[in-house]
Amino acid sequence: MEGLYLYCIREKIEGVPAIPIKGIDGKGEVFTIVYREVEAVVSNISLEEFASEEIQKKAREDLSWIKEKAVTHERVIEGAMRENDKILSLIPIRFGTILKDKARLEETLNKDYSGIKEVLDRIRGKQEWSVKVYLKDREKFEQVIKEKNESIKEKEKYIASLPEGMAFFMEEELTEVISKEVDKELNNIVEVLFESIGKQAVASIKNKIFGKELTGKREPMVLNSAFLIPEGEIVNFKEEAGELDQEIQAKGFYLEYSGPWPPFNFTSYLKI
Amino acid sequence: MINKNDNVTLVDALDKVLEKGAVINGDIMIRVADVDLVFLGLRLMLTSVSKAEEISGKSFSNPDKELTPEDIEYIERLQREIRKAEENIPKIIDLGSPKKTEQGLAKLVLTLVELIRKLMEKEAFRRVKRGTLSPAEIQKLGLSLKAVQKKIKEIQAIFGIEDEDLNLDLGPLGNLM
Repeated sequence: MEGLYLYCIREKIEGVPAIPIKGIDGKGEVFTIVYREVEAVVSNISLEEFASEEIQKKAREDLSWIKEKAVTHERVIEGAMRENDKILSLIPIRFGTILKDKARLEETLNKDYSGIKEVLDRIRGKQEWSVKVYLKDREKFEQVIKEKNESIKEKEKYIASLPEGMAFFMEEELTEVISKEVDKELNNIVEVLFESIGKQAVASIKNKIFGKELTGKREPMVLNSAFLIPEGEIVNFKEEAGELDQEIQAKGFYLEYSGPWPPFNFTSYLKI
Repeated sequence: MINKNDNVTLVDALDKVLEKGAVINGDIMIRVADVDLVFLGLRLMLTSVSKAEEISGKSFSNPDKELTPEDIEYIERLQREIRKAEENIPKIIDLGSPKKTEQGLAKLVLTLVELIRKLMEKEAFRRVKRGTLSPAEIQKLGLSLKAVQKKIKEIQAIFGIEDEDLNLDLGPLGNLM
């Protein structure tokens, strides 16, 4: 039996070409189903296949499978979001949403139609941008903190006067104190950064920090944030993000921004 | 600073797609386990380690014990080991030929050794703080731990492993250590 995999809901547009990307199963065409003033972007999939134990297992355990499917999901939504240079108002749907048939889809859209319209109106003319900040040079940052802190300097002097074995414990303890100081200061800096990046945004959110294994970077991520920014402010946002990057480089950090993304972070409260 | 390119990374996928977006109640068939689950096994392991550590935190030693000749010999040996490792490390680095090929396995083994070392160190700390150890015992304990630490550093230098490599990144859970 065939079901519908749902990628996103967008405002209805006339004469926009089909999205030339294969669907989540690598086979099905991506097409739209119009409902009143909105349309659902979907592709056909085999219900048997996606309900199978094999797929269920992969979705639980196989990170590379999850990555491939999640990326396809994202790509389709990206495709549906752009019409030439224009970014369309669109609600991305959470990964893995499958409906039995068209009737079920229409029923769902009907159930919270006003909610959907309201979100589409709110998102219109705004873009999601992502800003991630990394700590490039922790040692440098640590050094700055150590030099400011009198009690740390005093402890270091005291430790120098102890026998080696005893000094060991004090040294280890001091290292811990320093690292706590560093974390505290780090939190402050990140907080200030988050505030100042978000100046142009109408909404902003701090997300989970990812480890190096996932980011593939040497430097640890210290801030993972997303902002919803009005189209007219994007130029300013980029300019200020660039300036901020220069500024924090001196303190041992750097930032990366990317966008426009489908507004994943600013529609996830919508439960249809 | 970069602009977004066409390559959506795993991070982006995890960051955006898997946990975000509007939720539709109904026939969701692919339920991607919260990605944290991938790391759950490790987390469970860690929890049990720290529990074991808590339970075993007792001390039966005698605070007034003096250093025996054996103790002194032991301390001297540790100090020699520490000096030797300390002298060795720059030499190995100067050679500029760390055994990169065997680095992977060495890294894993050393990470676990380092984890155990840190757990031992914590336990030692607890006993020192409880004040039940004599100065001689503290001196011995500190030197033993330092010797192990230096030895690990030496092996790190041999295999060209950085401090921060001695860790397992548990992704959303943060680091192992």
